[in-house]
Amino acid sequence: MAATLAPATRRTVPAQPVRRRRTRRRGGLINLLYLPAVLLFAVFTVYPLISGIGLSFTNWDGYSAEKALVGLKNYARLFGDDTFRMVLINTVIYGLGSTVFQQVFGLGLAMALDRPLRGRGLARAIIYLPVLVSPVIMGTMYYLLFGFNNGALNDIVVSLGMDRIAWLSSSTASIAIIVAVNTLQFVGISMIIYLAGLQSIPGEYYEASVLDGAGGWKQFTNITLPLLQPAFATSIVLNLIGGLKLFDVIKVMTGGGPGYSTNSVSTLIGVSYFDNQSAGYASAMGVVLFILIVLFTLVLNALLNRRRLEA
Amino acid sequence: MKSRLAWLAASAAIALSLAGCGASADASGGGGDGTLEVQTGLSVDSHLMSTLKEVTGSFEKANPDIKLNLVPSSTSYEKDMKVRLASGNVPDIWWTHGWSLQRYGKFLMPLQDEPWAKNFNPALTAAMKDKSGTFYALPIDTDIAGIIYNKDVLAAAGFKPEDIKTWADFEKAASAVKAQGVTPITVSGKASGPAGNVADWIAPGAFSQDDLAKMSAGTFVADKYKTVLDLVAKWRDAGYFNQDYASATSTDMEQALAQGKAAFIFSQNSTANNALQYNPKANLGFMPVPSADGGAGYLVGGEMNAYGISKTTKNPAAAKKFLAYLAQPENESKLAKAAGSAPGLTDATSDMGTLQASYDQWMTTNKTALVPYFDRVYLPNGMWNTMVTTTDSVITKQSSPDAALGQVQSDFKSLYGQGK
Repeated sequence: MAATLAPATRRTVPAQPVRRRRTRRRGGLINLLYLPAVLLFAVFTVYPLISGIGLSFTNWDGYSAEKALVGLKNYARLFGDDTFRMVLINTVIYGLGSTVFQQVFGLGLAMALDRPLRGRGLARAIIYLPVLVSPVIMGTMYYLLFGFNNGALNDIVVSLGMDRIAWLSSSTASIAIIVAVNTLQFVGISMIIYLAGLQSIPGEYYEASVLDGAGGWKQFTNITLPLLQPAFATSIVLNLIGGLKLFDVIKVMTGGGPGYSTNSVSTLIGVSYFDNQSAGYASAMGVVLFILIVLFTLVLNALLNRRRLEA
Repeated sequence: MKSRLAWLAASAAIALSLAGCGASADASGGGGDGTLEVQTGLSVDSHLMSTLKEVTGSFEKANPDIKLNLVPSSTSYEKDMKVRLASGNVPDIWWTHGWSLQRYGKFLMPLQDEPWAKNFNPALTAAMKDKSGTFYALPIDTDIAGIIYNKDVLAAAGFKPEDIKTWADFEKAASAVKAQGVTPITVSGKASGPAGNVADWIAPGAFSQDDLAKMSAGTFVADKYKTVLDLVAKWRDAGYFNQDYASATSTDMEQALAQGKAAFIFSQNSTANNALQYNPKANLGFMPVPSADGGAGYLVGGEMNAYGISKTTKNPAAAKKFLAYLAQPENESKLAKAAGSAPGLTDATSDMGTLQASYDQWMTTNKTALVPYFDRVYLPNGMWNTMVTTTDSVITKQSSPDAALGQVQSDFKSLYGQGK
């Protein structure tokens, strides 16, 4: 259709200079309309990104007027830094852990709430509600739940005649709790994405499969999962980026401790920048995190798109 | 034409925004309209803030041509100040909280020639003056800290502070306290400092003068720092620290001390003053820190509440006049009392409330040595957080003393190198 229209449009243009001027004017107006967004993006994303990359080659302490170029020294330091290696592993755990659990629970909830149940609207709203809460508030709520002296969980433990448990004193338990809290908070997003995906699958496919003798599991693996590929791509990429950037919940619940053991790269950047006064080194970490997220996103997108095409 | 104009306007706007991002480093926050911006490190409802407001009010009444904007602090004062210094949005006067020399010195005006400088408390010399005697802030108080203790708890365990001269004595007292069902040492793992204080208090007594000279010159004396971490690990294994360490806040520490649920806190005296808010009848004091090398005990101290003037202020005369007003004996005494500390100038009088008896005993009568904060003088800038996290990791068994030592050593090397 467009191919047949294009030549006609081209033919009419020289004959109607007034319309061309109007189109140009409209183009200028459109440029003006998206200008604020471009401006904000340039000032708050592009400029800090370029400036951060520049800082990663300096020894700036974060507040002095002086800074000197140190070449790749900060990046070399990253490779030999055991703390950074541990924190990088934590970050991958937060990213992948949250993503896997959010997909499993999100899809399960979406399938359960896609059926005509009484109160499903209310259930959907309740599950989605934590998404609207600030992660700082979410973290504080769970910190109060897992607290040693006044924590609700320990009150239950004591009422059962047992000794209080220091839930947040071990790094393994703390990391698991952080992944769980992040999953609980954002499982609503996955649920909504999968619900939309499920509702776009035509009912005829299921009816035909019933006639062919397919059971629930076969329907799930041969109809639901393949046709949910676009929803998977969106949900996984969104959750993964959120998990890799995780900051607030960690800051509020453990502050990165015990020691450095529950930090993510995001929280360690804050620690290095402000507390260790190594803004250059923190910027190098930021660049590595940026590259990590870009790589994860590209690989995932490529994999998921290939599967979608195959489906 | 119009679209060209639109693009021109857009380019100009972007250029202006980017120029704004890289604002000049010379601008001073206040002063343009004759108002001096005084950035305090105090919360809006603190006793010291209300006293400072009162003194500031009387200064403004006496000097109607000078207006002061007294700014309370957020909970992240240090970060806020670093951002302001980096962006060039510097207040006229600001709270230097122990860092007037090492961190803020290059941004502040030298004050050694001010009329009140002759009354500078000599106990603050190591922390606030450089080799030439130059200093950059008016000390409101002299931070003198030891191990804060609950007198009733210690007495019930059968000990007096005079009995505790070595770490072995301290451990005996801690064991006796524990036997009474009370936590010997309470520390907050949630707050970003108390764990570091434990190491900061022990460290000065673990290093000889030669070792300290080496540390200042950039050579990390690992075996001596290991003594500090080993002691922390020993106390952890003996169960001296509070069970709720990981989730305890500073408030939990203060309440435990005030309510007799804990015996010792390694912290500044402000912690004792805060504890008294939960139980005004709490019988608290402080005692010297035993020396790990077997020498005499010491108190830790230096600069705490101090104010410096920006080099770039547009009203240096007014700013100096204000500091001179704060330095008047009656004002200095009033402010030091509100801070719960000894004054920073020798012509003011000391009233530390409950802690005055400890001050008189250890500082006035026994002339206990006052050593500077270990991290501020012997570790490179930025090491405080390493001290906190490594001590924290030993207390929580996340790291062995050797692994924590490796982290301290590595950060010492990196941060010392960064400053070169």
